[in-house]
Amino acid sequence: MALLLRTVARQGLYSSRSQFGVVYRHAVPMGTTAKEEMNKFWAKNTGLNRPISPHISIYRWSIPMMMSIFHRGTGVGLSSGISAFAVAALVLPENYPHYLDLIHSMSYGPQFLAFSKFALAFPMAYHTFNGIRHLIWDFGKGFKVPEVYRSGYVVIALTVLTSVALAAM
Amino acid sequence: MNEVYLITPVTVNVVVHPGNSSDLGPLEKIMAALVRISAVCHRGVRPLLFRSSLLIRPVAAQKDRDCPYLISAKIHATPSNYAGSGSKAASLHWTGERVLSAVLLGMMPFAYCYPGPAIDYSLAAALTLHGHWGLGQVLTDYVHGDFKVKMASAGLFVLSTVTFAGLCYFNYHDVGICKAVALLWSK
Repeated sequence: MALLLRTVARQGLYSSRSQFGVVYRHAVPMGTTAKEEMNKFWAKNTGLNRPISPHISIYRWSIPMMMSIFHRGTGVGLSSGISAFAVAALVLPENYPHYLDLIHSMSYGPQFLAFSKFALAFPMAYHTFNGIRHLIWDFGKGFKVPEVYRSGYVVIALTVLTSVALAAM
Repeated sequence: MNEVYLITPVTVNVVVHPGNSSDLGPLEKIMAALVRISAVCHRGVRPLLFRSSLLIRPVAAQKDRDCPYLISAKIHATPSNYAGSGSKAASLHWTGERVLSAVLLGMMPFAYCYPGPAIDYSLAAALTLHGHWGLGQVLTDYVHGDFKVKMASAGLFVLSTVTFAGLCYFNYHDVGICKAVALLWSK
């Protein structure tokens, strides 16, 4: 960078060496899109059977990392649950109260019901609260590392409290 | 040697236009003036301390060998001759995702307080779309290669369609989403 200015400012460079002007003025856009470039990267590297450097197997896990992948995990899980529910609604012959009574008659006591309520409420609560945390980030707030950790702990605390409260209801 | 030392530990983003330096900031004007002086005095301007975050420097050159003033060096990510190849689709999608998330968030207390068919169908739509877009991002992250992406996207589309159909069916022919949650929690 400094070299650039030194070189350019030097006497005798002015008219004959306008290559920097050439470089900037005659820059042309690339002929491929970003998507094409990405596909080319993957095609080439998988084709060459290159080994991938270890990343998640060696990098030290942090709370923000774990919470992030848990957000994705709960998202995929909840979505699968909803889809399964929808398919069941289309496929199963009886209506909802019928199957609910069936489950209640089969259940192994109130602990089972409380536990299943907790199991449903926990991913829902976590994804919701961490989702709010994401929306706050999307406004540009709370990116400092201590803030990330603090908001993360708040999300975890709220999730546990809400899930326990909902399971008890 | 009588040299001018320039110490500028700041981040400067300079887009220099051809012709005059009237639309430069004060710092850039100083730098330009210094370079100009140095050109006249046949000395070099040696910057002592440039942070690597300094993006652009005014490029000094002589136009027609006569008058030494700054010439064009449009140095930013998209040069001016790179016309019109950006679409706002991705950006709008991103915004849409966040808006939908916020709307879905607002639906939750509303569904608790005012259960009924209106909120049932709204929830069905919002949940399905939120899930569709979310799974779409997962696909983008982990699936690579034209064919695989196409197949996975098609599969996701089918899944989301079936999900929405099933939820609407449930809302119409069965108790509906709000009532279902209420019943689930009643025992």
